[in-house]
Amino acid sequence: MNAGLEPELAVRCSDIAKAYGSTAAPVYALRGVSLEVRRGERVALLGKSGSGKSTLLNLLGGIDKPTRGSRQVAGRDLERLSGRELARFRSEAVGMIFQSFNLIPSRTALENVELPMIFAGRPVRQRRAEARYVLEAVGLAQRLHHRPAQLSGGEAQRVAFARALVNHPAILLADEPTGNLDSATAREIMEQLMEHVRARGTTLVLVTHDEDLARSCTDRVLRLKDGQLV
Amino acid sequence: MRFADILGLALSALWQQKARTLLTTLGVIFGSLVLTASLSINSGVQETIERESRRSTQLRRVQVRPGGGGHPSDIADQVEVKGNMSDARRERIRNALVRQKLNFNPGGPRIALTRERLRQLAEIAHVDSVIPSIYLNGFAVFGQRSQRADIMANDPDDDSLPGRIVAGRYFETPHQSAAIVSEFWLYRAGMTDDAAMSAIVGKKIKLEFHVERRLVGVGIFLYKPDGVGTTRDEFSALDKIKKQLPEMLDRFALTGVEKAALKDAFRATPPKAADVFSEEVTVAGVFRMPSDKEQQGRRSSWESMHSDIILPLRMAEDLFFRAPGQGERSLNHATLVVDREENVKEVVKQVREMELDAYAATEWIDRQRLMYLLIFSAMTIVAAVALLVAALGIANTMLMSVLERTREVGIMKAVGAGNGHVQLIFLVEGAIIGLVGGTLGLLLGWAASIPGDRWARDMVQRDMRIELKESLFVFPPWLILAVVSFAVLVTTLAAVYPARRAAKVDPVTALRHE
Repeated sequence: MNAGLEPELAVRCSDIAKAYGSTAAPVYALRGVSLEVRRGERVALLGKSGSGKSTLLNLLGGIDKPTRGSRQVAGRDLERLSGRELARFRSEAVGMIFQSFNLIPSRTALENVELPMIFAGRPVRQRRAEARYVLEAVGLAQRLHHRPAQLSGGEAQRVAFARALVNHPAILLADEPTGNLDSATAREIMEQLMEHVRARGTTLVLVTHDEDLARSCTDRVLRLKDGQLV
Repeated sequence: MRFADILGLALSALWQQKARTLLTTLGVIFGSLVLTASLSINSGVQETIERESRRSTQLRRVQVRPGGGGHPSDIADQVEVKGNMSDARRERIRNALVRQKLNFNPGGPRIALTRERLRQLAEIAHVDSVIPSIYLNGFAVFGQRSQRADIMANDPDDDSLPGRIVAGRYFETPHQSAAIVSEFWLYRAGMTDDAAMSAIVGKKIKLEFHVERRLVGVGIFLYKPDGVGTTRDEFSALDKIKKQLPEMLDRFALTGVEKAALKDAFRATPPKAADVFSEEVTVAGVFRMPSDKEQQGRRSSWESMHSDIILPLRMAEDLFFRAPGQGERSLNHATLVVDREENVKEVVKQVREMELDAYAATEWIDRQRLMYLLIFSAMTIVAAVALLVAALGIANTMLMSVLERTREVGIMKAVGAGNGHVQLIFLVEGAIIGLVGGTLGLLLGWAASIPGDRWARDMVQRDMRIELKESLFVFPPWLILAVVSFAVLVTTLAAVYPARRAAKVDPVTALRHE
């Protein structure tokens, strides 16, 4: 599975391009991005709306495919993975946090957090205990059986955070995790996130357009403009 | 991913859309209900036909009748068409004459059921016994009294008759020179008291038959009101008048033409008095008429329900063929009892090769079975169509569900669900609808069968006079399995296309979906 990636590298992207639309008139979101992230490194992707930040994050998370280029993430060459292997990669190797939380409305906080473990095939008792533990760790012990509609924005994001962490991924991909939160809640969430990342040495790729946040939380800031790193 | 988790996710999704799931499942319930009812009653009716037929020797019996007037080709040459006419018309007239000749055969049937033929029938392989159907119409004379009587032979398989003996005893051997008489016949003969009825047991009675040896000629009959039969004296008087008719013709007020016509007719077939033949037998016992219940259950043979006097089978057979002219004539009917049911077809074939008419109850049962099979197959097709329509509803509903759950599918994929997982969740949702709908349809079918069975059995009892002991609806394990499996199969197949659509959902697009 390790496709020649140096042990100290968590991410290596080579000449990644992503185009949308027809082949006759493609619209490029990314134009030849090459990127390396070391294990445990915290990297921020800064850029304006439409610069390709989220597209790059989706490609790193294995939920999208590049039009061109190669990706090696957490020791796996994503271009060589089968659909089933890619699903396992998403479940076990990476954790994703989205700006809009992306929780399933019909499932409780506990059930949402359990979801990645269900797809990883973990036994019921183990995953229930794990989900409970992670939710308690993010301060949601009293909100286990609440549905997303019954949670505040901060609480919902913490559930999403717990869901991303629950399978102990090597890489955390956060797409504007505080974008929908007020500043106090955002600060609180980021503190929690960083505490976890530091404690576990998790690699973090944080997409944001908040320069202060990027500088304060990460080791390196990369800027994207018109689909290219500048 | 464990199957229990897929099941949990599918159940959870269905529970989220309770009303839609319920409506979708109702279609499956209805289809399964009709399918259950149709398969159940089909099996039940087939089993009932077979079971009821096996209660007696009916399925091993072959009814034999004299051979018909023969084949048209046998007598076509004997028919002459007179006159100058076109060939086409001559052919039509010839055909009509042949049919007329075949339909009217004053000499009796071409292939008669004579004693010799009964012997030949008994020699056919697998034939256990031959039961001739003996019917004699005559008078019973005891002392100074005489009474018209329908006299028949007993049916050895009629197990109800010995139980209906109210005085004296039943026959001891089939050759016994004895008779049992009906209490109703005794009453009509004037023996109204119990003591008189019992007193006749052990007495001799003379059975007297007036045998007409020809089927063409003159007949004089006396029909009396209320079904009262002609008395012996009336019969004797009419017979004498008949014989004197040619001599008395001039005394009647007839035209010359009419007289001439009758004279010609009498010359061709002179009126003749019937031959009188009699036999003396001992009254062994008195039997009562069957009760309504005995008649309903068909435990009694036709003979024992309609006879005034019953004779032991072989004695009656001997009497029939000893009567003047009977040796040349034919029995109307005989029954062959075959050793085993599977040999019935072979026996029927051999009897037909003797040019006798043969008919087995198995043929009737096969026809009945086929008829019910066709009816219930049509019902099964309707049920299957109902399930297929329900399946289209499921496919439509699930396609809408895929659309509504696009974001959910995207989230699941983002956190580790593979295409196979997503596809399986939707397929299991379809299968659950089939399983629940099929099971409920089956249970409703079973519940509906309780009043349905009562109604059907009442109808059979009322119209066919058969009291059924077992249910007309049966639920063998294969039926339960078939209904539920078919429902699950149909609904799962209905979910294939929506499941494939769900599996193809692009997570990036789905996560942007509102």
